[in-house]
Amino acid sequence: MTAVTDTPAQQVRLTAGAQAALITVIVGAVCLALEGVAPWLVKWPAAWELPATQWVGAFLDWFLNGIKPAMRLFSDLMTYPMNAANYVLGNTPWPILISIVTALGWYLGGLPMAALGFIGLSFVLASGYWAESMNTLALVAVSVPVALIMGGAIGILANEVPRVKSFVQAVLDIMQTVPTFAYLTPLLLLFGFGPVVGLIASAIYAAPPMARNVMLGLERVESEIKEAAIMSGGTRLQQLFQVEIPAATTQIMVGVNQCLMAALSMVIIAAVIGGFNDIGWEVLLTMRKAQFGESLMAGLVIVVFAVVIDRMSGTLATERKRYDSRVVWAMLGFAVLFTAAFWAWLPNPSELTVLDPMAGAIDSGLTAFTQANGPWLDALKNNSLFYVLLPLRIGLDQAVLPFTWGFQWTPSMSWGLFAVGAAIALLMAWRGHLTGGLVVLILIGMLETGIGNLPWPFVLTGAAALGWVAGGWRLAALSVGLLCTILVSGLWERALLSLYLSGAAVFFCAVLGGLIGLASAVWSPVWTVVRPICDMLQTIPLFVFLIPVLMVFQIGEFSAFLAICAYAIVPMIRYTRHGLVNTPEEMMEAAISSGATEWQIMRDVRAPYAAPTILLGLNQTILYAFAMLVIAALIGTTGLGQSIYLALGQADVGLGISAGAAMAILALIADRMVQGFAEERRKALGL
Amino acid sequence: MTDANTPAIACQNLWQVFGPGAEKALTDALSRSGNDADKAATDLREHGFIPAVQDANFEVREGELFVIMGLSGSGKSTLIRCISQLLPGTGGEIRVDGENVIGASKKVLTDLRRKKLGMVFQHFGLFPHMTVAENVAYPLRVQGVSKKERLARAQEVISLVGLEGREDSFPRQLSGGQRQRVGIARSLAVNPDIWFLDEPFSALDPLIRRQLQDEFLRIQATLKKSIVFITHDIQEALKLADRIAIMRDGKIVQIGTPTDIVLRPVDDYVREFSKDVAKGQHAKVASVMRDDGERGPDDPGLTTSMTLDAALAHCMELYEPVPVRDADGNIVGTVHPSDLAAALQVDET
Repeated sequence: MTAVTDTPAQQVRLTAGAQAALITVIVGAVCLALEGVAPWLVKWPAAWELPATQWVGAFLDWFLNGIKPAMRLFSDLMTYPMNAANYVLGNTPWPILISIVTALGWYLGGLPMAALGFIGLSFVLASGYWAESMNTLALVAVSVPVALIMGGAIGILANEVPRVKSFVQAVLDIMQTVPTFAYLTPLLLLFGFGPVVGLIASAIYAAPPMARNVMLGLERVESEIKEAAIMSGGTRLQQLFQVEIPAATTQIMVGVNQCLMAALSMVIIAAVIGGFNDIGWEVLLTMRKAQFGESLMAGLVIVVFAVVIDRMSGTLATERKRYDSRVVWAMLGFAVLFTAAFWAWLPNPSELTVLDPMAGAIDSGLTAFTQANGPWLDALKNNSLFYVLLPLRIGLDQAVLPFTWGFQWTPSMSWGLFAVGAAIALLMAWRGHLTGGLVVLILIGMLETGIGNLPWPFVLTGAAALGWVAGGWRLAALSVGLLCTILVSGLWERALLSLYLSGAAVFFCAVLGGLIGLASAVWSPVWTVVRPICDMLQTIPLFVFLIPVLMVFQIGEFSAFLAICAYAIVPMIRYTRHGLVNTPEEMMEAAISSGATEWQIMRDVRAPYAAPTILLGLNQTILYAFAMLVIAALIGTTGLGQSIYLALGQADVGLGISAGAAMAILALIADRMVQGFAEERRKALGL
Repeated sequence: MTDANTPAIACQNLWQVFGPGAEKALTDALSRSGNDADKAATDLREHGFIPAVQDANFEVREGELFVIMGLSGSGKSTLIRCISQLLPGTGGEIRVDGENVIGASKKVLTDLRRKKLGMVFQHFGLFPHMTVAENVAYPLRVQGVSKKERLARAQEVISLVGLEGREDSFPRQLSGGQRQRVGIARSLAVNPDIWFLDEPFSALDPLIRRQLQDEFLRIQATLKKSIVFITHDIQEALKLADRIAIMRDGKIVQIGTPTDIVLRPVDDYVREFSKDVAKGQHAKVASVMRDDGERGPDDPGLTTSMTLDAALAHCMELYEPVPVRDADGNIVGTVHPSDLAAALQVDET
């Protein structure tokens, strides 16, 4: 240690980063050294844990019971519109529904949208999941208006009453980070089992994006437009409803689009508690029975709905052309005539089996595929598990066993590893990269110990150090304070496990996504291929990601890891490319005229300029990974996600909410830190 | 009740201070400094407040075109927003037709705007979701005027600004110049007595700008509104104004006619503005005319309202004083050609 600090003696003062890293290294070293003497330094003793989850549970039970009558009344009221929607969607003949969607597509976006609607719904019809789809759609149809009204009202309220605004924003932030499953447990207690829970959960989940976009849209209306409305002599209500809201339509429509997608996603997730005959339940059921062909078909139906709803509502937020409304009437008229003429011959959509052979084919094809590629797939899975994921989780000292690695890890190997780390750190410090060297040393230490077994003082110090560097002592205090609540609540170990899996996924996404983003930025053909894939991945509801990984890799941590990566990599790709592509033309020209090569421009101009944007991408990736972590608990992860899922099964509100809060805390800290770094970079660039 | 002597707008000790608790801070600062505006402003700045308008005092007469000129950040936009009560005003008085509007109720202000005020914005402030006709008719719509009636009135003002045929276009389909014509038409829809224009031509190309300035003068010649016109362009100010107020750092440093501003700047700041101005095009013969009777034999036919440039062109070859006549042809004074030349010298101080 002394050697490390002595070497750059000529630099007199250590940078903030080096100081923070140095303290972290010292704390980590002390913890490791004293592990034998004082095991409580590494593992938080169970005796020190507070029964926080019970307290939370008791409080929530009391609270929920208090508001239960009112909520039950509300849920009883909601059953009316739901039954109505179910009845209408369930009993309208399918040709008429298809033509309505097709006509709507035409009205919104002309021929391409009409074709999308027609083909999409025809696929749903042929899949034989028509009835289930209509049940899902009925839920969405009722929850979305509720969410739109709630979100719109909250957004307008926040706009009108400035004092409420920051409060609303904070609540929306928290709602975004609390995992979806965590909502469900208290709702379950309030409303009992049944479709209404899904409905209300999805309304709650879908309202924030609407509120956010309404706020943003109203805020962004040009001040001169607002002033013109005032000077025209409008009352506040006239200003708001005749000028500001219409002028903010584009942004509000973005909110409608996001609201629809969120509602659909949540309705499907809510099937986990349900037994209600909808399409999400169908996926879950077939997945549990390992009927992957059917599962994939049902998943595709969900994807079709997501794509149709997303693309059609997306046109609302763009400038639209007017399409001939006669075509709309012609389509509807034709459908009515068609239905009337062929009434007796219309097949019952639930009995359609056109695509059943396809499901069978997928099943057998999959079996053939896994058999043919079994060794290779197994090798991929096992190697990743044994040589990457497991060491990360429990550390090299426990993961290296004769059974997998061919030899037994010994304490002297640990010493050797630390010595190598120290040597690298020394070397880097010698070259003037003291902070980098210390970080390498920390990473090597973490690899030896494993994230799941990190000493708690080290984690707290590390979080404080990162927080301090990223956003000053306030962020450091906030991070430590929040982490301490997890520590004493007895969820610490599970939190570390969640941190490990999401951390591994985020790291993988950052590297791979960054590379793909880079490739897309420098070579546009890559982007033409990658872009539709990204669009697709962002449209698919979370739940569906589980199906393909499950098909190939079965239940387990590796499958969960892949599902998380598939979902969380998209923002990293998008933001990296966006940041790199949007270097101001003048800066590029200045670099070119200075004689810089392509590579030099990338390294010296484009990359630094893109850094804040890329950091924001990383931030999104982290939040996405946390969101997916909980969903992935369905197919085998340990940690907080699993706890939330278990709590749901046992209707244990205390555990569900505490674990949800712990996830939210982790996400929040990560979010603030990365934002802090991004902010610092932006300031440094004068943006 | 407007009578001939009541100014259309009168501002007295008007302050607009930004910052939390600005009103109290202003009262405190004024009492500490013994009502000295400059000291109070410095005091406010030291306490973290922004005095964007400091102690403004001026009157706009009935039918007068009053231009407020200043660089960006000088507080001119804040000032016009105070007068139109888009900003509340922190201290002082604003009398519109003799009535103080500071602290007036919402209802009174709404009424005032519906009947007496019109405003044109720099970036037009058009409602993007309404057609030209709907935009122009909007001030009537909020008053509950029937659709037929308000569209008829909109048609009148649209013709006035020369936009016939574009009634059903949306703002995004128009050029910048056309958009501002819509803005002007909308501000005139209720036929207001007082017309606010906040840098109406600044966002336009020079050619379009000149064209609209000329048309604006034409409209004003028939409508005779009382106007507060904001600009950062000295040429525009000199061309349009009856009187000009020059603002700097929240303070009005000089109020005067265009000739005053050009020939008798109160300080270096104002002089700096008029430096690049071709004085000969703005100053009139009257400003260098003397009353004494000695004059030479020549009479090149100068009149009081001629610009210096024109006068100089008439007496290029002359060295002796020449007579000046008024509009009716009576001799009212004398001009020395050397004085004409001297007045045109650019100040090098």
